[in-house]
Amino acid sequence: MTTIDVNNLSKTFGKTVAVNNVSFEVERGRIFGLLGPNGAGKTTTIRMINFIMPPDEGEILINGVKAGPKTQRWIGYMPEERGLYKKMKVGEQLIYLAQLKGLTASDAREKIRYWLKRFGAYDWHSKTVGELSKGMSQKIQFIATIVHDPDIYIFDEPFSGLDPINSELLKEIIIELREKGKTILFSTHRMEQVEQMCDDICLFNNGKVVLTGNLRKVKKDFGKNTVLIEFEGDPTFLDQLENVRINNRSTNFAEIRILEGLDHQDILRKAMENTEVHKFQLVEPSLNEIFISTVGEDNIKQQELAV
Amino acid sequence: MSWRQIFLVLKREYITRVKSKGFIWATILVPVGFAAVIGIMVFITVWESESTFEVAIKDETGQVAPPLIEINERRYLDYSGLEIDSLRTLVQLDRITGYIVITEENITERRNPELIYRGSGGMEFLMSVESDFRQVIREVRLRRADVSEEIQEIYEARINLDTRRLTREGEEEDDDTIFLSFVGMLLGIIIFISIFSYGGYITRGVIEEKTNRIVEVIASSVKPIELLTGKMAGVGALAITQFTIWILAFAGLTTIAGPLAMSLMETSASASGDLAAAEAELPAFLDFPTVEISLIVYFIIFFILGYLLYSSLFAAIGSAADSDTDTQQLMLPITIPIMIAYFIMFHTWRSPDSILSVVSSIIPFFSPILMITRIAITDVPFWQIGSSILLMILTFAGTMWLSSKIYKVGILSYGSTASFKDIFKWIRQ
Repeated sequence: MTTIDVNNLSKTFGKTVAVNNVSFEVERGRIFGLLGPNGAGKTTTIRMINFIMPPDEGEILINGVKAGPKTQRWIGYMPEERGLYKKMKVGEQLIYLAQLKGLTASDAREKIRYWLKRFGAYDWHSKTVGELSKGMSQKIQFIATIVHDPDIYIFDEPFSGLDPINSELLKEIIIELREKGKTILFSTHRMEQVEQMCDDICLFNNGKVVLTGNLRKVKKDFGKNTVLIEFEGDPTFLDQLENVRINNRSTNFAEIRILEGLDHQDILRKAMENTEVHKFQLVEPSLNEIFISTVGEDNIKQQELAV
Repeated sequence: MSWRQIFLVLKREYITRVKSKGFIWATILVPVGFAAVIGIMVFITVWESESTFEVAIKDETGQVAPPLIEINERRYLDYSGLEIDSLRTLVQLDRITGYIVITEENITERRNPELIYRGSGGMEFLMSVESDFRQVIREVRLRRADVSEEIQEIYEARINLDTRRLTREGEEEDDDTIFLSFVGMLLGIIIFISIFSYGGYITRGVIEEKTNRIVEVIASSVKPIELLTGKMAGVGALAITQFTIWILAFAGLTTIAGPLAMSLMETSASASGDLAAAEAELPAFLDFPTVEISLIVYFIIFFILGYLLYSSLFAAIGSAADSDTDTQQLMLPITIPIMIAYFIMFHTWRSPDSILSVVSSIIPFFSPILMITRIAITDVPFWQIGSSILLMILTFAGTMWLSSKIYKVGILSYGSTASFKDIFKWIRQ
């Protein structure tokens, strides 16, 4: 079942086309990753899904309902630029934010108590946010996002600026929410997190969707055309290879993406001539590789079009 | 628009501010300051009536001292029998404040009486001595010139202008124009200050939400127009709370100030055993003429309309700025009309019915300050009041429309303060 249905969405600011005819679907109970370089239009799309700005064209349906004040209550949103009222007490602040999402004050109080206890933050109830450390206020921010127990969670670059402990905590929360059947959409440019967590992805570049679908399927479609090689010896043979792209290179390790024509056995042969090979593995490309090649190709195409 | 959301925003804006130390102190200190000023003035009056200056008169003519003593028997002492040397000694020993020797020449020739004193007493003392001598010597001269009583009376007469107000209903009233002119100016200044200070609250509140980055969280629950309306209403409610407390405090203070001052002065007078002082009138500054209820109602109307007219613009400026320090330049389009109105007010205060006063009091951006000043001082035709109110409501609709367009885009524009060019773009979007 489709939870978030984005159809032919466009948004222009002055002369800049921020989002250009974007369509994707987020399925219920899954973790959906929105990827793309900075300025690709992820945040603008997320803001439109949250009904913070209206689209110029296109349509967003949340559980079949057009995005609006009503659908806002079904979503818990944590923006990239996070913040709270510094002079307000933690408890009062959370009640206010929960009430804005439609909860009654008593309902909100109960849920806030639960979450503060769960995060070991119950003592902070009467402190102002200004008195809290950065890590503490990040926890409060999580609570503010999830306290009204919505069906949909949207996190914009959730891991940026988080300390390692809170990063883990947030990952746990996200996984736990999915187990409860909630739908999660988050944007990021950090691929390892997407590989670890996402079920589906959508890749943005220059305001357009260049790739979307199930993460496993996307990787499979790219084919087993990536070589992981571990060796000991002179690594300069790597520079002689043509029609490849080398990611993740170190003195005794390389991740090599075969572009066209070249046989992976040729690489093995060259490696054996020059070094002692410890490991040679043919794998699906990493998401990072998919990201770089797709975005790279797209950019080349754009340049050609421009010429 | 959801009223529930607006109310939630209003409540937060109101409660967080009403509990703030700054608000509580300002609310308390203004009436306390007012009470202190009244207290000091009462104190000065009481003190003044206690102190006496004794001036010895060595009157060689025998005609000047008696009438002076008649004027003020506590001040003037007839020491005509003493030698000048003794008088000097008395002054040196501070037994008397000073002495004046009156000779025939002071009356017949243009020679001024000369006060020899230790230098205490100050201007008020000197001026009252001067005026007493002027009066007495003039009387002596008139008498000597043997002019008819009629002419003497002409000289003694002091012509002032008494005024009475005739209302449209045909009733005559005491005229308080001078008092009301001060009231009018005061009301204008109060509206001027409050537009800036409550407007400033709003600008800073909007910037705070932007710099805290909370605004995007809020915007995912509330429409910008609801947030804007809630903010304006919350700060407006704060303003009304503060003014209600102040008005009640002033009313209370002015009611008790008069009787309190009287009783103070009576005790001090009876302590010094002086009948004249006991009968003293209430000092003029405590004798408040009554302010009409209609003036208070108009003040509230113009205060609220002025606040509404400007507050949405203050919010728009906050949304376009990126930090508190960047608001100066953006503030200009608001500051200029308020400042112009403020300067015109000093003209309006003196001539409330001039063409400049009438026309500018109907211009919506000036009305909150100028119309209330005029209403306090003069009899403003109702069509002028009505049209200024109507124009302000229409202009409010316009500024609200404009501000909500700027605000909607501004609150989500981080990183740099917008230029006027950017703002025009936002409006046209």
